[in-house]
Amino acid sequence: MPVISPHAFAPSAANDLAAGVPLGLREKVRRLERAHSAQRGGRAASVALGMPAIDALLPEGGLLTGALHEIEAGPAPSGRVASHDGAALGFAGHIVGRFARQAGGTILWCRRPTGTFDAPPYAPMLSAWFDPARVLMVTAQRDADLFWAMEEGLRCPGIAVVLGETRAADPTAGRRLSLAAEKSGIPALLLRTQPAPPQSVCATRWRVASAPSHSTPGLSDVGAARWRLELRRNRFGTPSAAEIPSWLVEWNDETHCLSVVSQTLDGSSSAYWPESDAARLVG
Amino acid sequence: MRLADARALLPDLVTTAGEPQADRRLIETIANWCDRYTPWVAIDPLGGAIAEEGTEACSAGGFGGDAGLLLDVTGCTHLFGTGEAGERALLTDLTQRLSRHDFSCRAAMADTAGAAWALARFAERQTDLFCPRHGQRAALATLPVEGLRLDAPILETFLKLGLRRIGDLYPMPRAPLARRFGDQPLARLDQALGTLAEPIEPRRPPPAFRTRLAFAEPIGRPEDIAAATSRLLAALCRQFEQAGVGARKLEIALYRVDGSVDRTSIGTSRPNRDNPKLMKLFEEKLGELDAGFGVELMILGAPEVEAWDGTQDALPDQHTSAVPVGIDGTTDLADRLALRLGIENVVRLLPRDSHLPERVQVTAPIEAKPAAAGAWRRVAGLKGARPTRLLQRPEPVDVMAPVPDDPPRHFSWRQHKHRIVRAEGPERIADEWWRPRPDGSRPPAGGVPLVRDYYRVEDDDGGRFWLFRDGAYKVAANGQPTARWFLHGFCA
Repeated sequence: MPVISPHAFAPSAANDLAAGVPLGLREKVRRLERAHSAQRGGRAASVALGMPAIDALLPEGGLLTGALHEIEAGPAPSGRVASHDGAALGFAGHIVGRFARQAGGTILWCRRPTGTFDAPPYAPMLSAWFDPARVLMVTAQRDADLFWAMEEGLRCPGIAVVLGETRAADPTAGRRLSLAAEKSGIPALLLRTQPAPPQSVCATRWRVASAPSHSTPGLSDVGAARWRLELRRNRFGTPSAAEIPSWLVEWNDETHCLSVVSQTLDGSSSAYWPESDAARLVG
Repeated sequence: MRLADARALLPDLVTTAGEPQADRRLIETIANWCDRYTPWVAIDPLGGAIAEEGTEACSAGGFGGDAGLLLDVTGCTHLFGTGEAGERALLTDLTQRLSRHDFSCRAAMADTAGAAWALARFAERQTDLFCPRHGQRAALATLPVEGLRLDAPILETFLKLGLRRIGDLYPMPRAPLARRFGDQPLARLDQALGTLAEPIEPRRPPPAFRTRLAFAEPIGRPEDIAAATSRLLAALCRQFEQAGVGARKLEIALYRVDGSVDRTSIGTSRPNRDNPKLMKLFEEKLGELDAGFGVELMILGAPEVEAWDGTQDALPDQHTSAVPVGIDGTTDLADRLALRLGIENVVRLLPRDSHLPERVQVTAPIEAKPAAAGAWRRVAGLKGARPTRLLQRPEPVDVMAPVPDDPPRHFSWRQHKHRIVRAEGPERIADEWWRPRPDGSRPPAGGVPLVRDYYRVEDDDGGRFWLFRDGAYKVAANGQPTARWFLHGFCA
């Protein structure tokens, strides 16, 4: 005997309503909702990166708090993927530090060790961006456990920011994290050591790779760390002139701040990254 | 009697090989089952067939049949009735239930373990098995002297001397007895009579706090077990409040109808007596429990409690949907994470004063006091440039370094060749000679200590690495200077 659900014939009111509302208005409502949930958690709606050229493109002048941000390690100019690139972690550390300064509480750092050799984040260096004493370090053996731990963290009001470190993320997990972050107003970061297919739902996606530093003229010492930064996805943000805006940024380890050295235009950026996957700018 | 003799006398004799280990497992199962009466259960060390792991030695009395359990039921009998009636009811219940599982058993109850031991084995009438309060002297008087748990030679001498009943020892002068037979007979007698304390060592430490819930009908549905757990937890939390403590560890045991027991436990990182929070932790674990054919009894115990630290639980806020939490909910979050991922996988980072980079970062359990604000900055500030990621163990790399004390030109790691464009160093980090090496040896006083020369290098891609050379250059057999190089970290 077939079982008929009582809801089978009732028109889904919510869906109909949503379908009738224009796209722009829906975004506006979501934005208001997010600002509200962030406010409820006693947080600002967004946190500036500290680089005016980049912040200008981001919604509310910075990274949204109640949202998911992805950072992926990009391939080097030679095409090599440095899966343990310190640069992506450095940029993630900078963002975590920005969020942690704005909201007190614990930093939940979830990571999944990668197979053959493991290089965990090194706290003495991380102390340049935030106080490692605030970190609660969680190690998960499976991706499912990692995302579960992140979601639990996103529901806990005492958490300042949640960071997950894994190889790749599936879209469902990204969607769940995004929703959990939106609800609580706690920022979620996903640090991936491999470029992933671009369909996952996140507010911003960054690609970071090390770039040659600038040494003192006449010497061959290692200068201040420089990173090639790409904004692959900028949901809710202002579209830029370039298809994929990209910058060369420098991190000053004395003043502890990031600054833009030069802005790379679209053409040169696609030359910089050999494979070019189409990324949507405004979602 | 030997097996051959026995077979000659009785050709139809059914024989099977003795299995001391199986006997031990069985008696342990029964001991687990007995936890329903009291947490204080011990396997009688003199009870016969309890072969220790790996030994074949059994004390006199043969296999299996003489195994014994000692239960300290002080304070537990009121669950079966008041006063002596409760004690008798517990004894009857125990015997009946065990015989329902097809075990033949004799159980006796007395003020002392020694008296109960003797009564269970040598009492002639069923009514003698229960010894009323302070009645052990009279009850033991008529029992054979074997009931005193004496060593075989002493027992033999006693029998030769005509001391057949325990009562025969009562009028004996103590000093000559001790002189002739040593301390044992008097000590055993005093233990049985209760003038000398005889501690029973429980198999598992008895929890300080414990609640139990028995069901008229066996339950099996997960919802029922969850509901029962929540009721037990509510009762236990009331006990905690009265005693001013909080639980660090809770254990729930399901006593199934087939006599087996299933347990699971939860731990918390600080003393906790908040019913909903503890229930939330249990919900994670209840799925692991197997109700089998049904559960007839559940016992919730708190093996580890700590003094309540005085943190007041927040009142639920009507106006926001914020979760009511203790301080900020982080400790509860850590508990939940630790429960699912393992306690060793949820840690804090603590700094340690050390020169060796791999020793600076220490992981500590969640309940450890976090490092003071700025402690990390202070540790890091003393050192030079450090990597953002440090390899757990340095990876050997092949290098081409033309001049000693210069950074290498190339290095290959994991089949990738990196051409070095910029380099910084060396930063010399020497072994901490005041500390024993991991293998326990100390560096030889006159020998060359372990020295690392660290370089921060940048390759043509802009990737920055932290390399070190292990020790000084040595001249190899072919006249070429050699040194071992390692990759230790990845810089920002």
